[in-house]
Amino acid sequence: MSLSSASPQPRINAGRSALWLLAGLTMLFLLAPIAVIIVVSFNDTTLFSFPPTRWSLRWYQALWESRAWREAGWFSLWLASLVALASLLIGVPAAYGLAKGRFPGRRLAEALLISPMVVPVIVLALGLYMLFSKLGLIGTPTSLFLAHTLLALPVVIVIVGAAFRRLDGSIELAARSCGASFPRAFWHIVLPAIRPALISAGAFAFLTSFDEVVLTLFLGGPRTTTLPKKIWESVKFELDPSLTAVSTILIIVSIAALLLVEVARRSRIQRLAKEVL
Amino acid sequence: MTLVAASAVPSVKAARAWRARPGLMIAGALAFCAIVYLLPMLSLFGWAFQGPSGTGASLAQLSRLIGDDTYHYAFFTTFKIAAITTLICALIGYPYAYLMATTGPRLAMLLTAAVMIPFWTSVLARSLAWMILLGRKGIVNEWLTGWGLLERPAALLFNSIGVQIGMVHVLLPFMVLPIWSILSRLDPGLPRAARSLGASPAAAFIHVTLPLSLPGLAAGATLVFMFAIGFYITPALLGGPDDLTIASLIEMVVRDLLDWPFGAMLSLALLGLVALVFACGAAFAGAGRIAGMEGR
Repeated sequence: MSLSSASPQPRINAGRSALWLLAGLTMLFLLAPIAVIIVVSFNDTTLFSFPPTRWSLRWYQALWESRAWREAGWFSLWLASLVALASLLIGVPAAYGLAKGRFPGRRLAEALLISPMVVPVIVLALGLYMLFSKLGLIGTPTSLFLAHTLLALPVVIVIVGAAFRRLDGSIELAARSCGASFPRAFWHIVLPAIRPALISAGAFAFLTSFDEVVLTLFLGGPRTTTLPKKIWESVKFELDPSLTAVSTILIIVSIAALLLVEVARRSRIQRLAKEVL
Repeated sequence: MTLVAASAVPSVKAARAWRARPGLMIAGALAFCAIVYLLPMLSLFGWAFQGPSGTGASLAQLSRLIGDDTYHYAFFTTFKIAAITTLICALIGYPYAYLMATTGPRLAMLLTAAVMIPFWTSVLARSLAWMILLGRKGIVNEWLTGWGLLERPAALLFNSIGVQIGMVHVLLPFMVLPIWSILSRLDPGLPRAARSLGASPAAAFIHVTLPLSLPGLAAGATLVFMFAIGFYITPALLGGPDDLTIASLIEMVVRDLLDWPFGAMLSLALLGLVALVFACGAAFAGAGRIAGMEGR
């Protein structure tokens, strides 16, 4: 083994270095726009100079002082929280049913519930527009709540469903054999066992709504201005530096959600490690 | 195990109820999807095949779609953008995923973070970032001309270059993650065995690792192509008038021309194409591998 690997060693290293160079450039490509927009948002001038010649928080202050942006921010936050809650409420039981149930049509139901993920959003937007205009819902928060929940639901079902499939079914059976009713076992045994998945599903459902633009543009009205919708309207008009500040806020919310998911995942691994040792 | 299971279900009736309940638990989600998902899809069909005075059925919209070259151009543009995006994503995504799967845990974590952070960051914020970077007076042009690499600023925005850069940025994670998923589960003993039997590293890769990872590549390519043909935000913001995609055409037909029936027909055509791409991908990679990906 050592003999056969000794001679081609330098060539592997050259290949590996080339791979790393490519990966480094790819990382730069992936992260540079995010880094640049965050840095540019702290510029003191109206020009998007990079790196900034003078730093300031004036664009954040401008945002905070603008009532329209503040209201859009609160509305986005509320909407995304409600969407996360609703998609967990109907998505978690559905994921359990799909993972553990044995009934005819299970695969069809699964395909149906996950498919909104791959249907182009513009197609969903037009279909929902046609339905909601008949029901008089266009421009109401309800229409956005329903539409965003439709997009967030598959995210929850995929993440939580994977956790249910990995879960050892015998802990539930043990709880049931000790006399726990089905809802009791579900609430006290099954759900706590998949808590990290619940947290990541909730976080990603929140982000799905918080960053959504196309459905909001089609179905929303003046009363339903979210942050992304306001960004979209301003971008089409002119590139205003406060947009970099809003974008930075959107990016920070995403990174915070990812960190939350990672912390939840790790604390579980550490707890498991403690139990095993 | 069997003992526990037997005592857990004291009677046949209870056993049946327990097994039926998981089925009942999807009822809420199904009802929601029936109203907010199936009904809108059906109304698309209704509008697309509606007769001239709102009654009966007609194929007028379909023949309009087939008969007019302007619309064919939008389909051609969309396919071109999607094909180039898929190709670039495969070329840079595969080596990246390979490193992610074969390097140590710390570096793998770094590589994963560099994919996951953009993946879950607002597409709008990222498109905006590219507008700032790629504009005529943008950062990229300033630097390139400042260093003397370019004499005049290059046109990188509001044309197909801008669209391609933005699309690859948005869709690259959909290529990397399925390839990584299959490579990280690949038995490292297999390429090692090939090496110990005298294969060069390149030969071991081409004859062992690559063929085994092809389903991941197929799943990634399907996802990227599928999302690329339906994508709206990036081409709309970074593209020019020549980059009219099907999604932008739908938006234009519905919002500017208020032509709902034709918008519905275009939507169905787009939906059909997405389904076709998915079916082709599923034939190569398996539907589960494609649908198992979480994404937007």
